[in-house]
Amino acid sequence: MHIAEGFLPPAHAVAWGVASAPFVVHGARSLIRDVREHPESTLLLGASGAFTFVLSALKLPSVTGSCSHPTGTGLGAILFRPPVMAVLGTITLLFQALLLAHGGLTTLGANVFSMAIVGPWAGYAVYRLLRRYDVPLMGAVFCGAFAADLSTYCVTSVQLALAFPDPGSGFLGALGKFGSIFAVTQIPLAVSEGLLTVLVMRLLVQSSKGELTRLGVLVTSAAGGKRAESAEAVTR
Amino acid sequence: MLPIDAAAHSSRWRRRHPVDKAVLGLGLTVLAISLPPWPGAALVLVTALALLLGPAGVPAGRLWRAYRVPLGFCVTGALTLLVRVGGPGGLVSPAPDGPLRAGELLLRTSAASLGVLLFAFTTPMSDLLPRLVRAGVPAPLVDVALVTYRMSFLLLDSVRRVHRAQAARLGHTTRAATWRSLGGLGATAFVRSFDRAARLQTGLAGRGYDGALRVLVPEARVSVRFTAASGTLLAALAALTFVLERPLS
Repeated sequence: MHIAEGFLPPAHAVAWGVASAPFVVHGARSLIRDVREHPESTLLLGASGAFTFVLSALKLPSVTGSCSHPTGTGLGAILFRPPVMAVLGTITLLFQALLLAHGGLTTLGANVFSMAIVGPWAGYAVYRLLRRYDVPLMGAVFCGAFAADLSTYCVTSVQLALAFPDPGSGFLGALGKFGSIFAVTQIPLAVSEGLLTVLVMRLLVQSSKGELTRLGVLVTSAAGGKRAESAEAVTR
Repeated sequence: MLPIDAAAHSSRWRRRHPVDKAVLGLGLTVLAISLPPWPGAALVLVTALALLLGPAGVPAGRLWRAYRVPLGFCVTGALTLLVRVGGPGGLVSPAPDGPLRAGELLLRTSAASLGVLLFAFTTPMSDLLPRLVRAGVPAPLVDVALVTYRMSFLLLDSVRRVHRAQAARLGHTTRAATWRSLGGLGATAFVRSFDRAARLQTGLAGRGYDGALRVLVPEARVSVRFTAASGTLLAALAALTFVLERPLS
């Protein structure tokens, strides 16, 4: 769920835009450098962006019986790394604002901060941490996707609470109100997204080992590792 | 193609330069969030609606289907303003000025959303993206966005067809089957996106691809009359808001 057009006061909209800018600029600069070195990676990155866009359009059955859409930020961060996701996420959010009326242009900075920056980084950090402690791939993927989804909506709640503090209890009261609507209700959806991501990853391990090795998700051998490093450089 | 983009391709203002429509549509959005919600956002809302249904010729049904998406978020978010946590009324009590704040928020978000929809419903993405290079956005970034945009439709189409095939094979009859099908759908989207990228690369390499994606952009010039009229309309709305603000509040 993205913050809708015009929902944030102008000062907040500008502030979240400024907060997001360094991450997006950093990701864009590394993407431009790689595209100039390897022109063919334009197509791979475009395909990755399209995959992220399509993933966020899938309908996800919630464990409570309702229906929602996955954010796709956890899987995207594991596959393409967070700096790339900052740029791809920004492009995806721009398309969603203009093609689907999800989110908005004045709230783009705030949505980028939660969905394209905090979500991917949180998911990727959890995934890497668990992999470092030899947690099985699918366990790490589940926790990464869960953390990415939930952190996205926690940040959205913080953004809304900062913009609309409660008249009685200020920021904390507002955080409780927005959190109960946008973050607590998201827990079952985060579990659903974690499960979906595991299912997708299981199938990818079976059918697309080559691509996963190129992206650095799987390292099957020393040679595979070298290939993964070079491909990782392309997608970074 | 997605409904808003499809409508933009057949819009009456399709041949207008994106800058013309950005000045008007995004100008209305900026006014909606900058002016006092009453009567500023209300005036913007009425103006945007009149422009969408009138000169821009957007069908009311299509507009409603697009507009109800942000409206759902706005209503849900505005509900929280109706109550306050803590204070003399107990743990949760009605906020004294809650309905007023919620109403103002709904007015502002509705008006701002219509401004963006005016731009989106009249400007196809394929007209906008290539022109971003002239606006200073680095070309490699625009190229990635262009490939993403064009590949999204192909992938969405593939996903729809796979979904239909899964449904025909009773892939959505039980909860477990739905999950399996959904996992398969996500994995297929990944495999197909990378497969398409590889085939596109091969095709472009055969045509001497040097890293720049050159696309034809329909000729259009910025209309001084249209942008001046838009600027006048925006200034008139701002002035009218300040004139009416005191008598109406």
